[in-house]
Amino acid sequence: MASVELQNLTKRYGPLAVVDDVSLRIEHGSLVCLLGPSGCGKTTTLRLIAGFVEPTEGNIRVGDRLVSSPALTLPPEQRKMSMIFQSYALWPHMTVTENVIYGLKLRKLDRDTIRKKLDAILTTTKLKELAERYPGELSGGQQQRVALARALIVEPETLLLDEPLSNLDANLREEMRFEVRRLHDAYRYTTVYVTHDQSEAMTTADLICVMNAGKIEQAGTPEDIYDRPRSEFVARFIGSSNVIKGKNLDDAHISFAGARLRVTGAKLAAGGETAVSIRQHDIRLSKTAPQQKDNVVPATVVRQVFLGGSRDYMVEVADGTQLRAVTGAGEAIAQGSAVFLHLPAEHCRALTG
Amino acid sequence: MSVLTSTAAERRPARIDFSRPILYGFAAILIVLIVLPLSWLLLYSVTDRAGSLTVENFIRLFSESAFLDPLITTFIIATSSSFLCCAVAAPMGWLVARTDLPMSHVIRALVTASFVTPPFLGAIAWELLAAPNSGLLNKIYRVVTGAPQDEHLFNIYSLTGIIFVISCYTFPYVFVLVANALDRTPGELEDASSILGGKRWYTARRITIPLVLPALIAGALIAFLQAMTLFGSPAILALPAGFHTMTTKIWSLFQYPPKPELAAAASLPLLVLTIILLRAEHMILGRRGYSVVGGKYGTPRLIPLGRGRWPAFALCILVLLNPVFLPYAALLNAAFAPVASHFLTFSTFTLHNIEFVLFELSATKLALRNTVILGTATATIGLLIALVIAYVTARKAVTGHRLLGFLATAPVAIPGIVLGVGLFLSYTRPPFVLYGTLWILLIAFLTISLPSAYQQLQAAFRNIHPELEDASRILGATRLQSLRQITAPLLRTSVIATWCFIFVGVMRELSAAIILFTSETKVISVLIYDLNESGDLGAISVIGIAMLLITFAVVIMVNRIPGFGVTSVRLRT
Repeated sequence: MASVELQNLTKRYGPLAVVDDVSLRIEHGSLVCLLGPSGCGKTTTLRLIAGFVEPTEGNIRVGDRLVSSPALTLPPEQRKMSMIFQSYALWPHMTVTENVIYGLKLRKLDRDTIRKKLDAILTTTKLKELAERYPGELSGGQQQRVALARALIVEPETLLLDEPLSNLDANLREEMRFEVRRLHDAYRYTTVYVTHDQSEAMTTADLICVMNAGKIEQAGTPEDIYDRPRSEFVARFIGSSNVIKGKNLDDAHISFAGARLRVTGAKLAAGGETAVSIRQHDIRLSKTAPQQKDNVVPATVVRQVFLGGSRDYMVEVADGTQLRAVTGAGEAIAQGSAVFLHLPAEHCRALTG
Repeated sequence: MSVLTSTAAERRPARIDFSRPILYGFAAILIVLIVLPLSWLLLYSVTDRAGSLTVENFIRLFSESAFLDPLITTFIIATSSSFLCCAVAAPMGWLVARTDLPMSHVIRALVTASFVTPPFLGAIAWELLAAPNSGLLNKIYRVVTGAPQDEHLFNIYSLTGIIFVISCYTFPYVFVLVANALDRTPGELEDASSILGGKRWYTARRITIPLVLPALIAGALIAFLQAMTLFGSPAILALPAGFHTMTTKIWSLFQYPPKPELAAAASLPLLVLTIILLRAEHMILGRRGYSVVGGKYGTPRLIPLGRGRWPAFALCILVLLNPVFLPYAALLNAAFAPVASHFLTFSTFTLHNIEFVLFELSATKLALRNTVILGTATATIGLLIALVIAYVTARKAVTGHRLLGFLATAPVAIPGIVLGVGLFLSYTRPPFVLYGTLWILLIAFLTISLPSAYQQLQAAFRNIHPELEDASRILGATRLQSLRQITAPLLRTSVIATWCFIFVGVMRELSAAIILFTSETKVISVLIYDLNESGDLGAISVIGIAMLLITFAVVIMVNRIPGFGVTSVRLRT
């Protein structure tokens, strides 16, 4: 079984730790996304797994085989992996067919098998008509599919993808996201997918690792990451969250803009401040004061925009903090009106990371 | 309706009237520079003394051994130096671009140094080093082995000697093409092969080499071209050895008694071959299948040489001994020693040669004056022409801009000596008797420097997005104001660099000047050639070192300008 395990993996360039003590176990057949802003170390992690980069500390195991350690790094060609590069790295002097069967020829398969496999993969990736073209004569989406076909045809134990969709336009990107997932489900190899696009990660991954400054900030299912961010970085990076700050009152309450907020998540320390995240669409707005007293904050509407299916409000509370709230399209509250925000306790997550 | 259209036409006449004259004017200039000399060349080659049509010249050219031998010699020299250049430059280019070779930037700088060394100066330096009797290397050999006075290790006055010296100053063309191709080939293309299981050698064979092959073939063609059209090195080394190449043969046809119609006929094969080879190079490098596709690429993974690192570096230095270290040392030695072929010691150190060049040699002052006048005039006029044409073609400002661009690059295909013959034939007769004046040299230098000046400036214009000008105009500036306030400041460094490059190019030009000079219009390069004939090698060394210093200053300055490196520029000789 080809699980991939990173143990205390560190890569330093001079004093700078690009990958900083990363430990992660990727089960066989699962699809893991390394998600993070540019420069967070996700691509270096991937290249460490591929064997293009040698670790400074820690090691990488595939199954029970040690493939990377500071002492010994197995060269990429002996790892039984495949990779799709951000640039696709298609060889411009070879046709689509020649590109795709390159790996099979290296594995010394006989002609009939090669032809059969080529046929199958070209059908799956809808490249049949383009088989004799050169990469320079293909569109971006077609090039991407050639890269996919070239990587998949060798039936790797592990597939590595480095921002494979970032060069495509928006429509195609959405389509190919599902394609990547579909092919993964069909072939069931272990996949490591690097991206900076959270919706790409959400639609494809079994497990998302949000990375920041060389470390994994949080690893979890898409639901985990979205609903239960552990740190301010994750909450902000995953998007559409307000992050507010308040004084701790006890282990589950903070004071925010004069109101008392009950929050969920980890227990709060006595004294000190806590950052709390709440999603834009979890905030409820009303003109009249709701019945319960807890978790209600008075505010003023700074602006509101009608978005067709919803309304996007910017509101300001007493201490000057601005929050965004997305509500149904029905209720229109004019700019400048006083409103009451209800921040449901189950959606107020204390960020302790 | 007709009334309306005519007023509309009257309202904006300036635009139509403005661009047409520019096009016609510049087309006319270029035609005078290029088409006129080539037409005379063609006409002369098919006429006899009396002026009637004949193919006699070509029959003689391809039947008499006096012409056939140089043709064969030239072919041998060009082919062998092309091979030699590839054999040396391709591995070096790979070492520098793709491995962890130590101090690879030093190697690149040294290759640039051999790139900008005038080949005729290199040839003279190698005379100092490897002439059979007086050559310094042969002297060392005799001292070390105790061989008798008449024995020698090297004889530079030989076919192999010429091939060697020409290769010394031609291999940078191949090196630059190969190294650039490798620099541009993304490392991910090789990574993609290794992750699929390709071992290093397999990857090199299937991916790297096929990708670089077009650049190597193009380099081989350019090297062939250089070796074929060079005048200085063969004139310095082949004539004492008693044989001719095509260029020296053409030159000798202008010695008394002149046979211009034969010279014209002999020039045509050079011209035709050059055009064919340049077309071939263009096709090879321009093949669509070889352009790299896709978006962002990382820097390539360098191949670790391990224990071979320093030996590889030593090998590169060993190669660079030949075009750089040894010749420069010989020139320095000759400049400060009382006799050029003696080794310099503390007691014999003298400034006599410098004194001689500066104060005693009457020809220096004249040649220096002519060179400065011609350099300044060529650089200034050439820059203006190139600037206008580059602007017009880069901004597509005038219909027919393509024709201008084509005419501006066309002189690339005219070897210097062929241009010299063409200009000689055009301007020794009324109505334009320019032979014997600086004007004819000016025309020659303008023609020769135009292509690279144009290409540099066009690249510079392309780097300046047209929207920068548009942004200025939408805010209310006129076209000329925008040019002055936006484009001109952005272009300034490129303009200065181009000017300097033309100036340096004029200083190094020999093969056209050798046909066109008279005693009153000598330039520095011709003076060096003359001094070589009279054996004043010490004086040559002084002038040559000064030339090199000026060239290096310009190259270093230009290399500081981002995206403008010498590697993108073709210096002509």
